Amino acid sequence: MEMEHSFTVPVPKSRAWDVLLDVERVAPCMPGATLDSVDGDEIRGRIKVKVGPINMTYAGTARFIERDKDAGVVTLEASGKETRGAGTASASVRSVLEDRGQETHVKVLTTLNVTGKPAQFGRGVMDEVGGRLLTIFASNLAALLAEQEVAAVDGQAAAAPAAAPAAAGAPIDDLKLPPRATSSLRREGITTVGQLATKTEDELLAIDGIGPASVDEIKSKLTDLGFTPGQPLPAAAVAPTPVAPTPVAPTPATDGAATPAAPAATASVPAASAAAPVAPHPSTAREYVHKAEDEAINLLRVAGMPVLKRAIPVLAGLAAALLIGLRRRAARRRSR
Amino acid sequence: MIPAKFDYVKPTSVGAAVQALASGGEDAKVIAGGQSLLPLLRLRLSYPDLLVDVGALDELRGVADTGDELLIGAGTTHYQLVHDPLVGQHCGILAEAAATVADPAVRHRGTLGGSLAHGDPAGDLPAVAVALGATMVARGPGGERRIAASDFFLDYLTTSLQPGEILTGVRVPKLGGDWGYRYEKFHRTAQAWAIVGVAALARRSNGHVAEARVGLTNMGSVPVRASAVEAAAAGAEATRDALNAAAASAADGTEPPADLHGAPDYRRHLARVLTGRALAAAAGA
Repeated sequence: MEMEHSFTVPVPKSRAWDVLLDVERVAPCMPGATLDSVDGDEIRGRIKVKVGPINMTYAGTARFIERDKDAGVVTLEASGKETRGAGTASASVRSVLEDRGQETHVKVLTTLNVTGKPAQFGRGVMDEVGGRLLTIFASNLAALLAEQEVAAVDGQAAAAPAAAPAAAGAPIDDLKLPPRATSSLRREGITTVGQLATKTEDELLAIDGIGPASVDEIKSKLTDLGFTPGQPLPAAAVAPTPVAPTPVAPTPATDGAATPAAPAATASVPAASAAAPVAPHPSTAREYVHKAEDEAINLLRVAGMPVLKRAIPVLAGLAAALLIGLRRRAARRRSR
Repeated sequence: MIPAKFDYVKPTSVGAAVQALASGGEDAKVIAGGQSLLPLLRLRLSYPDLLVDVGALDELRGVADTGDELLIGAGTTHYQLVHDPLVGQHCGILAEAAATVADPAVRHRGTLGGSLAHGDPAGDLPAVAVALGATMVARGPGGERRIAASDFFLDYLTTSLQPGEILTGVRVPKLGGDWGYRYEKFHRTAQAWAIVGVAALARRSNGHVAEARVGLTNMGSVPVRASAVEAAAAGAEATRDALNAAAASAADGTEPPADLHGAPDYRRHLARVLTGRALAAAAGA
């Protein structure tokens, strides 16, 4: 299956290029994706997909096989395996940047191949799901690139995160809201405190399962944390986590993924990782610690509309495909 | 394949089932006949932590006459729908469509509520519920809630049921004696999913169609009403030609899936042809 998406972002090609190669920032654009490690050109992660009663996780690796800055072409190849089944997914994602002065046109060509039960299950589920997943990815990526521009103009590309209350990236569970309110928010794709803080009272009331009492409680808890409910956060504070509750500190715009192991990027590694099992190549590998590691993203909600149709496997496929793969550390694995 | 491990409870009342479901959080799942969920479990496409079995709850089963409507318990099986006298008399299309669901074994176990709550756009009963203007009755920790069929199906396998809610019944408006109906289902083998299905209802008056309702199966991610056809058929002569003309817009605005059974264009064509046939049969043309 082949798909093509394209969009135009209001940033020069050189800046778009830097962002596109920074997997730490691009990975969260993929719905349900979790980045586990980046070692040189190899990226490990996984993607979790949930459609109705169906939920699947693909884990695997992705690798840059082409990076031609002059031509503006990046090709990422990914392959993954279902963590609880026998299915596999592989994908090749080729992004082509075209310089249009102050704008950049981005074309994303994806070839996806999914095997196993998921591939057999749906009556044609694959195309639709894959297409939707990629559409969400592309729109998140476009938003990420556009936000770079805002941050740069404000001269606070690196400082922006500090302007938002520290809890912006924390999962909403930290607010200790009633379970029903928390699950209602999650269904709407609101997984972090930062995302919640940008919602107005009316937006919250429009969510099934959230009533006036819940809104009052949310407002009071957010205010306690230093947020101004209903106000947008500084762009850079929101940008890296459009869909996944994975706080990743943006790196300065000049520090692209072309130098994935640059010291500056290590700021995103929580101190806890110091005690983590030794990575294969300690000198260059980076490990990521995810707060809400088992949080599945519901694609239907992420897209802000009922979305994913016939989906399932594909998602997973893409998932694996697009960025991620992963290796879960045994100690963190949920025992079942 | 053997399903992944899960906990299983079999409550003895709907209230207890709601509580059990609430205790299981988002990874709990209701099971009744199991004709849709079990295949997913066995294919390892679904990994619930807890299954709440409502299949043995008698209070969820049966058909009651409430005046203008029939209240059909969610646990009523397809087989029971096919043979229930009240259903046959007041909303026969439900019985007609239920008779086309899969095979006898599935119809004896599968339930109306399960078919609706599963939200599969290729399922036969969702489109019928939408065409009939049925109302879903759900019970959750906060009490009972009613949801119009048109608001119930949100997307592929996704309904507006909240994680803690159980679909307990369906309220179906009674059709008067001047209504005709037909469920046209196109599939290649007897027990297969509908490639396209059309549920048509027509109220006849003096050789004309006074009012028509059309629901489409498998023409999008949710069952849809063919409102353009309904508008065109209203007032049309009850003849094949006139109703075929009205059915020309059956595929307007739909986004049918593409799969091994047919491309979107093929499904659009089927929708037009089947809608014409279904309307003609419903109107007695």
